[in-house]
Amino acid sequence: MKKLLYLSFALAFSVGIAQEDEEKKKDWGTVTGGFESNIQWYNDDTSLGKFAEDEHFRSNNYLKLDYNYGNWFAGIQVESYAPMPLLNYSPKLDDTGIATFYAMYKTRKIEVTAGYFYEQFGSGLILRGWENRPLGINNSFRGARVKYQPSDAIALTGMYARQRDGFEVSEGEIFGFNSEIDLTNALNLETSSLSAGFSYVGRKEDIPEQFQNTGFDELTNAFSARLDYSGETFYSGIEYITKGKDAIVNSQRFIENFVEKGSALLVNFGYSQKGFGIDATVRRLENMNFFSEREAAGNVFNENIVNYLPGLTKQHDYALTNIYVYQAQAAISVPDPSLFKFGEIGGQIDMFYNFKKGTALGGKYGTKIALNAAYWAGLKGDFDFTERDSEIDFFGFGRKYFSEFSMEIRKKWDKKWQSIFYFVNQYYNQRFINDERGVVNSNVAVGEVIYKLSSRQSVRIELQHLWTPDDDKNWAGGTVEFNVTPRLSFYITDIYNYGNDIEDEQIHYYNVGGSFARGATRFALNYGRQRGGLVCVGGVCRFVPQSTGLTVNITTAF
Amino acid sequence: MKSIMSIVAVFLFCTIQANAQKEIPNITVKKLNGTSVTMDEITSEKGVKIISFWATWCVPCINELDAINEVYEDWIDETDVELIAIATDDARTKKRIKPLINGKGWEYKILLDENQDLQRALNITVIPHVVVIKDGKIVWRHTGYQPGAENQLYDVVKKNAN
Repeated sequence: MKKLLYLSFALAFSVGIAQEDEEKKKDWGTVTGGFESNIQWYNDDTSLGKFAEDEHFRSNNYLKLDYNYGNWFAGIQVESYAPMPLLNYSPKLDDTGIATFYAMYKTRKIEVTAGYFYEQFGSGLILRGWENRPLGINNSFRGARVKYQPSDAIALTGMYARQRDGFEVSEGEIFGFNSEIDLTNALNLETSSLSAGFSYVGRKEDIPEQFQNTGFDELTNAFSARLDYSGETFYSGIEYITKGKDAIVNSQRFIENFVEKGSALLVNFGYSQKGFGIDATVRRLENMNFFSEREAAGNVFNENIVNYLPGLTKQHDYALTNIYVYQAQAAISVPDPSLFKFGEIGGQIDMFYNFKKGTALGGKYGTKIALNAAYWAGLKGDFDFTERDSEIDFFGFGRKYFSEFSMEIRKKWDKKWQSIFYFVNQYYNQRFINDERGVVNSNVAVGEVIYKLSSRQSVRIELQHLWTPDDDKNWAGGTVEFNVTPRLSFYITDIYNYGNDIEDEQIHYYNVGGSFARGATRFALNYGRQRGGLVCVGGVCRFVPQSTGLTVNITTAF
Repeated sequence: MKSIMSIVAVFLFCTIQANAQKEIPNITVKKLNGTSVTMDEITSEKGVKIISFWATWCVPCINELDAINEVYEDWIDETDVELIAIATDDARTKKRIKPLINGKGWEYKILLDENQDLQRALNITVIPHVVVIKDGKIVWRHTGYQPGAENQLYDVVKKNAN
């Protein structure tokens, strides 16, 4: 603990010095940075029961410092999870220290990085190292990377690294190569653009003795090819990935003598003009989960993930619309004949339309509508237990996993009033998505009204209801938010599982809090109950247990 | 508990002490047609610009950009300001950007920061986040959006436009 305090003093001091120097002599370079702290006090709760874990008080803290001098860049990120990480963050994070560091030299044509770096090839379907603190994800790479841009039309990247894993790095090594080629000028396209990309990602990891010579190699190769076209109103893209033969690992255990290839296909097209837009995406994933350590497959902390496989559904923003969230089902898993999973196939369509000002449906300010429909099913296939072999159809739709229809209507009525209406219909196959029993059919309606009291003050009221005859039955919810100034706001919110068959589980998940923001600094305080379940950002989810307590969030940049 | 509080105090203190970040880091972002553009190309232009970090799934972000869209023409006429909306959507939602902005009829310049490199370099952890630059230098930042905050933003733009 003391170590931490000294460290922070030292850092604050060095920032101070750097700043002073900067004022005296401009050419000493600049230091910038950011700090984020999430502090939680978990208390016992009569409805949820006693807090049964160690340490009622916990915090996650991140300090990032970057230094730049001409073409040179360097930085560190110090992370402190003290005395323990927040609930359901990886136990590997229970420490304080320098989590990432880097040095980089960058010119217009070339960029060389040593240390930790974030990277994405194409859409991330083959490789993505990224950070998301609310999800506890930091899949950055530690090693070396060179980016070279011989001309405006060609960008090349080569990298060798191990992936961050807690305060350590993965066993497995990652080799990566990426190229992006802009064909627009080469083809003399005037009003449209065309680009192509090719990537290679290799993962090399020792094979445990008992699984050696069972049909897969230490090095697993994956290749991606993609093409994107963008015209004035029409655009489309296609990406295909193949992944070499590798052992199937379920719930962090090898399945003996079961070795399969993987592949992914992503097709997207859309059309848009002023006031109207439509977009359709189709994706097929077969055995596409890819980890920097084989035995990380199925880990619940999103660690060692090499590629990015988001659930391609609409990301909702309201509490009750986020109870039944779909997650991509990319893996092969064969626990028993009633639960074979070989991957997923499906798609989604989005439509946006603006009823113009002055028309019957548009009114004085126009009316904006957004529709989304999504359908996802398991890949159709068969598994032979004796031969340890699976037969998977290319375009076969198997068991239905998820479907959804949602509609959003936004309307500004006059200078003071505006409203949002949101409706969602969901089919959620819990058995296949969550490994829980049954299927959930639900409808959710949300109404939101914003009333401006003055040019700076406003009140926002939100009412929600979820109807379902399944699982935990009906929910109701509401929020009142008072925006005192553009900087200061308070809210009170509650979701209530009043329909639950078990009376003791008819719980109010209430929260009260406020936030103050000034410049790049934001301070937020919250007290209340957190619903247990999935917390999802960008289609990636983290399971959190329910809890009650006081939360303080501080973020700032300098 | 005590030491955590003192760490927080030290950092807040050091934040107030430190000069705020003035430069937009020269990160490469993408245009909607997939071609690359560096932030230097944007910050080398004269005048006042609003850089707004948003995402298609962020309701307050959309509220803010919708609200500004209502008055954007007046803002341009009066101050010659330009709004650059930087979408931080990743592969999951980025395909929604083009139909959404057209469906809404936004007139902003839209850029894409797909792996959040620019967002990270500016130490932005919460969106919506607005940065106002004048002749390429940061003059104002704000996190979050509440109805009416666009008036405060416009006051800043007007003050710097003269």
